[in-house]
Amino acid sequence: MMSLLVAMLMWSCVWPQGVASRAKISFTTDSLTSAELASREALPSPGITARAGLASPTRSPWIVANGWRVTRRPGTKYVYSLGAGKAGLAAAEAFAYGADALLKIAPEDVGVLRTIMAFFDGLPASDLPNVADFAVVDDGSAVTGEVMNLLARRNLLFEVVKAPSDRFRINIVVGSREFPAREAADPSAFALKVRRQLTDEQRTLRVYGSEVVIARFTGDAGRARLHLINYGGREIEGLRIRLRGAYRGREAHVAGVGQVPLQDLVVAGGTTEFSLPRLTTYAVVDLEAVR
Amino acid sequence: MERRAFVRLLAGAPLARTFQISAPAGTPAVRVVSNYKAAAMPGIPGPYPGRVVSVKSDKCVDVATGKANDEIVREMMASGMRALTGAGTTRDAWRRFFDPSDIVGIKVNCGGYPYCVSAYEIVAEVVRRLLDTGIPESQIYVYERFQNQLDEVNYAPHLPAGVRIVAAERANRNVDNSGYDPAVYLEADLFGEEDTRSNMMRLVSQRLTKIINIPNMKDHGATGATGCLKNIAYGSFSNVGRTHQRGKSYTLSLVGQLAAVEPLRSRTVLQILDGLRGVWHGGPFARTTRYVFYPRQIMFGTDPVAIDRLLLDIIDNERRAHGAISIWDRSPASLKMDDTRARDADPNVNIIIREPGHVEYASSLGLGVYDRSKIKVQDLSV
Repeated sequence: MMSLLVAMLMWSCVWPQGVASRAKISFTTDSLTSAELASREALPSPGITARAGLASPTRSPWIVANGWRVTRRPGTKYVYSLGAGKAGLAAAEAFAYGADALLKIAPEDVGVLRTIMAFFDGLPASDLPNVADFAVVDDGSAVTGEVMNLLARRNLLFEVVKAPSDRFRINIVVGSREFPAREAADPSAFALKVRRQLTDEQRTLRVYGSEVVIARFTGDAGRARLHLINYGGREIEGLRIRLRGAYRGREAHVAGVGQVPLQDLVVAGGTTEFSLPRLTTYAVVDLEAVR
Repeated sequence: MERRAFVRLLAGAPLARTFQISAPAGTPAVRVVSNYKAAAMPGIPGPYPGRVVSVKSDKCVDVATGKANDEIVREMMASGMRALTGAGTTRDAWRRFFDPSDIVGIKVNCGGYPYCVSAYEIVAEVVRRLLDTGIPESQIYVYERFQNQLDEVNYAPHLPAGVRIVAAERANRNVDNSGYDPAVYLEADLFGEEDTRSNMMRLVSQRLTKIINIPNMKDHGATGATGCLKNIAYGSFSNVGRTHQRGKSYTLSLVGQLAAVEPLRSRTVLQILDGLRGVWHGGPFARTTRYVFYPRQIMFGTDPVAIDRLLLDIIDNERRAHGAISIWDRSPASLKMDDTRARDADPNVNIIIREPGHVEYASSLGLGVYDRSKIKVQDLSV
């Protein structure tokens, strides 16, 4: 009987989502098999947590997020082992970054997961490349990984490259004279240094009104898609977004809510700003470039 | 009115923007964005720069119980307003500032609950006088940033039912931004925080025509004292807690810079500093009576700098009377960074280097008179 129930709860979906990969999410309420664990890289449960001395519990809590890992190794298969209440956030994260992920979820989260996967199903198809402001040369080290983590955490948009790329003004090579390894020992300060080099004015993306939202931005010359993942566990009202470039857009697709009109949209000075009235766990905003 | 309904009412107002750049030496660079122009005579410092009326009464508060005497407070209010304006009647005094078409915000301070908040008696008397000038109840707003603080203090039983009591956010959790105007803000990167904007409440920018500021006489761990300037500035903008942390406070410049942002500056026309009760340490909070004292006075004026200049001495003198370090103390030996327990236990502990110089700095922005020798104080007794 139990095996029948588990079989009924197995679910798998694939969505066209990004160039480098296709999101493929499956889930189970059963224990993970040794074969599944061996064939996939385990990801920590996403969300916020308190880490003494590193982040304020109210304004800037420590975020556990995995998008940077998928960005770093898009072809890898991942597995989440999640406690109750985490299924929606993990699915949103996997979907936004186009991950191939198996989610081990609590039985009470089956409904939540099916709902958000139905939400993914209803989104317009999109197949746009990542937008990045600078490159990180990946040496495969844990230190560089932690730097990527903190860069992503601050919505500093980067592309992972094997060698410095002349497409970017800033190429981060951990261990170089410009970015010494000793500085990378404090990834938060390191990320701030990169931000200051880039300057806030030149950043493609800014998020105002929360320190717990991580964005993924994809686009080409004509269209763009903004993924917004809320790791805080509380709905956010009035999140303000600033994008470099001129865009038009009417609404956001908000998980659990539906289509929500963008508010206070302003295009001026080579930038676009708008507010999202509500952000649950996840939202997608599709935009068209204004020529 | 429900907070969410009120926010919806204001959402969607037309957006336009102008830019001002301000980066005085030694202070963080800030960018102020607002499409509002200053009034011909901005409310701050208003028609009475450098002028303060201080009304005292030994009978206004029973220091044994902390209970205020409503009748005495009304008398203090009437005397103070007549003296400030020179009007022959109390009604005429209020009509110098307000007419029936005004939509008036009353900025209260609820942070010192339960022992030191904007007094019910003062707030209720202000509302009565506004009604007396012909302003309808529906055009009077009592406001704070956080709804949970307003709920704790609960002004409603003391006010006519039609008066609106509204907040911008449910609580200090950084998840409700809809109550703030995305087109009016001060932007500054202070500690490397990601959210570098502090936005003005929509109520202030899009609804109110006049504001009455009713702060308390309180010590403040980051600013030295919190009076008129701090209450109106930090009480009308989002995301201001980021200005002071890890022992460092950028309040020296930011208090005045926020208070100077239009339309807040032009619309804040009257300052009533509630000194029925005060807090000499541990402020802006007052969760125990240990640091509560009773100045038993109310100050009236239009110049927040002049009033706050007097407040600095009141707080510092009270601290001195208790053998506590001065609000001007910058000694590293007094600093126990972020240790609020130590601060609450010992009045000789700072958790942040305080910046009482914010009052003088605000004067450099044209917000009022700081030089004590140029401030004219009229003392009255009831």
